[in-house]
Amino acid sequence: MKRTYFGGLILLVSMGLAMLGPIITVILWAFAVKWRYPHLLPTEWGMKYWFAMLGRETVITPILTSLALTSIATTTAALICWPAAYAFARLKFPGRQLLLFSFIAAQAVPKFALFVSIAVIFLKLGLVGNFWGVVVVQMLSAVLFMIWIPTAAFRGIPPALEEAAFDLGASRLRVFLFITLPQAMPALAASYVLAFVSILFEVDSALLIGAPTVTTMPLLLMSLSAQVIVQEAAVLCVLIWVPCFVLLLLSRRFMTARGIAQGFGA
Amino acid sequence: MLQIDAITKTYQGTPAVRDASFTVARGELVCLLGPSGCGKSTLLRIISGLTDCDSGSVRIEGVDMTATQANRRPTAMVFQSHALWSHMSVAQNVGFGLRVRGLPKAEIAAKTAAVLDLVGLQAFAKRLPAELSGGQAQRVALARCLVVEPKVLLMDEPFSALDAHLRKGLREELKALQGRLDLTTIFVTHDQEEAMELADRIVVMQGGRVEQVGPPGVLYQNPSTLGVAQFIGAMNTCTTTLRQGAADWYGLDLRLPLPDGEVALLCRPEDVYPDAKGAAARVTRVIDLGPVTKVTLMTEAGDLLTWTCPRDQAPDLGRVLTLLPRRLHAFRNGALIGLAQSPLPAQTAGAPA
Amino acid sequence: MPDVAKPSGGVAPGYTLSTGLGSQALAGLALVALPVGLLVTLTLLPTVRMVAATFLVEGHLSAERYFAFFNDAYTMANLRYTLEMGLVSAIAALSVSFGIALYLRFSAGRIATMIHGLSLFPLFVPSIIISYALVRFLGPNGLFQLLLEQVGFTQYRTPYLTPVGPFLAFLWENIPLPVLVLSAGLSQVSDHAVEAARDLGAKAPRILWEILLPQMRRSLLIAFALIFMGIIGAFTVPYMLGPPAPEMMSVFMQRTLGNLHDPASAQVQAVVLMVISSIVGGFYIATMAKSSAGAR
Repeated sequence: MKRTYFGGLILLVSMGLAMLGPIITVILWAFAVKWRYPHLLPTEWGMKYWFAMLGRETVITPILTSLALTSIATTTAALICWPAAYAFARLKFPGRQLLLFSFIAAQAVPKFALFVSIAVIFLKLGLVGNFWGVVVVQMLSAVLFMIWIPTAAFRGIPPALEEAAFDLGASRLRVFLFITLPQAMPALAASYVLAFVSILFEVDSALLIGAPTVTTMPLLLMSLSAQVIVQEAAVLCVLIWVPCFVLLLLSRRFMTARGIAQGFGA
Repeated sequence: MLQIDAITKTYQGTPAVRDASFTVARGELVCLLGPSGCGKSTLLRIISGLTDCDSGSVRIEGVDMTATQANRRPTAMVFQSHALWSHMSVAQNVGFGLRVRGLPKAEIAAKTAAVLDLVGLQAFAKRLPAELSGGQAQRVALARCLVVEPKVLLMDEPFSALDAHLRKGLREELKALQGRLDLTTIFVTHDQEEAMELADRIVVMQGGRVEQVGPPGVLYQNPSTLGVAQFIGAMNTCTTTLRQGAADWYGLDLRLPLPDGEVALLCRPEDVYPDAKGAAARVTRVIDLGPVTKVTLMTEAGDLLTWTCPRDQAPDLGRVLTLLPRRLHAFRNGALIGLAQSPLPAQTAGAPA
Repeated sequence: MPDVAKPSGGVAPGYTLSTGLGSQALAGLALVALPVGLLVTLTLLPTVRMVAATFLVEGHLSAERYFAFFNDAYTMANLRYTLEMGLVSAIAALSVSFGIALYLRFSAGRIATMIHGLSLFPLFVPSIIISYALVRFLGPNGLFQLLLEQVGFTQYRTPYLTPVGPFLAFLWENIPLPVLVLSAGLSQVSDHAVEAARDLGAKAPRILWEILLPQMRRSLLIAFALIFMGIIGAFTVPYMLGPPAPEMMSVFMQRTLGNLHDPASAQVQAVVLMVISSIVGGFYIATMAKSSAGAR
């Protein structure tokens, strides 16, 4: 018994170091004013670099671009995918299984290679570097979350809930708006958060289709990470990632084995 | 009030309801009773409009409702799973049907309060369904239907997910409420005791067909089919062959003035009585049920026979008794062909009553 | 049981739409049309067009671009490096995850809960964040080196800009999925099965090898396929942490397209990667199909 306890403790400490070490380093850097080798911890703390970063237009613009891009792409994807998810869950139509499956199958295509193929087309069409071109391509990243999680959610609503409302005189539209939708809302919100975060941090499409005119936050982070001043990239990381982390934690109920495996098509 | 006429429904080639017909009078509580998969729930859903039927008609107060969708029918259904909406409070659940009807807010509030009072849950109006017990949830589900004043209340095994004790209490509550409000009600159940206790009349279904319709007592005393006889109450069943007005009943030659052929002879355990001229059987088990005693006997041929006797007449284990039936139902091909009152052994003189 | 389990006695889910199946089919197709359309225009069509384009050299069919691809030593080194990276990282991630899942399966309490939480943490960290964080953590004079020096170890050589860098990042990123999949699989192996084996005198390695592993084979294969596909297509991690040469395919493609302005070659590289990925994907789908057929 004691052996397993110490074994567990060792596993816990090493995993804690491996999993949290890198992120802690970044957080330390974000609040460090001076951190020189060989000091284990920063020797001078402060928010100096935060004010410096937030005052620069070259920092603010990509962040705003990313937020606008991500909001538009995620919301549009939600508007087209959620009704489709409802159809997959509740309506019978020819090719339903096949079409639903095609959303999984599409995940087997390596994203970067796919973006290369799209980039070549966009090059010819003059869409590379176009804001809306990036929006359309980034919607692809959202489709998976926006189809799978909501389809499972709509399927999970007991039909009796809808039947009871219909039986009491509600129209089909009313049943959908007042019963089905609220019941599915937590899952829909979670799918929105997951898609939002994955688009916000997406590098591939931004690099291949957005650059150089559309600079997104991840691209900024990439260029900052090559800079001599370590703190700038660290501040940006903490600034953007922490709120996303909190949002993701809130929707973690949907990050179950099944949800994720389904997300990857399992 | 409600007329069900020749309803038939087939799912992918499997008939679920076959040619079902019956009527329900105003204020009557009718139970649809039958084993699992007999089509009773499907029939209820057809009455509600949630499921459509292939042929036949549903008429409410003389108006043909067959083509009317569920949301336009004056029926309301209580589901087995109670189907309360978890995102709404109890009051919001109950008020939903009224909001759909576009009633003014004050009226909705008043009616909701009144109906919650009726089911004894006025203190729970602000709770969420997740905070209710099973019995309370089912009462809210009932209130949600009562508030829209349906012409016909439909209940699909509403209590079967609850424990036995609670079920009994709710049953009595429902019966009282139903009588007070003069509610026309159809109640689906697979529990014959529940049906007997609740129903003014019972519709017994089997294999998608209506087997028999009648008050509980009539069904019990005079089952018209073998299925009904075996489903409602316990029966001693003896399958034998009739020859020249006599049949072998547990090794005893009984006189039965019926046409020759295969026959199933059924007798209720309480309709068995000891008689010197009866069939011999050894007592193998004696169970004291309190008001009565259930005695299980084995005949020489190894058939089992049950006799419920008054407590003071309970025999000792291992004793050999001779028994006769007081009322014997004879079925051929599932249909009743005769009911013999106190039939006598063939060698004894005297005519059966 | 009475018909409790299926309250509607075989009734199809959802209330019937008396409007008829025809209009339901139309409504369904209309609702899924947009996302399916998005998938067709942005996945199917570009892929098909790209495959066709790679075989079209100055107006006629030719496989010459593929000959060039497979005869170029540098390209082949990149491809090989990519596949090796996928293989090694996926196997490493599976082994580590399997260990964690095993520990979680047979222990309870606060430590186990915390380990479980830690193993899922990477789900909440995007690739670009962890890549940057690993640069700072494992890089020269990073926190890891500082920690080692605190305990007197001074021979640290950073994996940053070597193949070990992306390997560690892939390992880090790919812990949660197999932990979840394997935990789910292990929870289906009953305590009794393990105890029965222990009763018969089986030692831990034997129990692992003969009882647990065979039951986990399918989960392991599925997890392997998913991780492998993810790694060989990855861009951010090798771009930020990897050596300048050899390059992983996505980085190579990006450079071919963006820096060398050679879309023709980039497309060939993309097609080759797609084909490899779809072979693994096809195998994975076949495993899935077999298991769901077996479940019936």
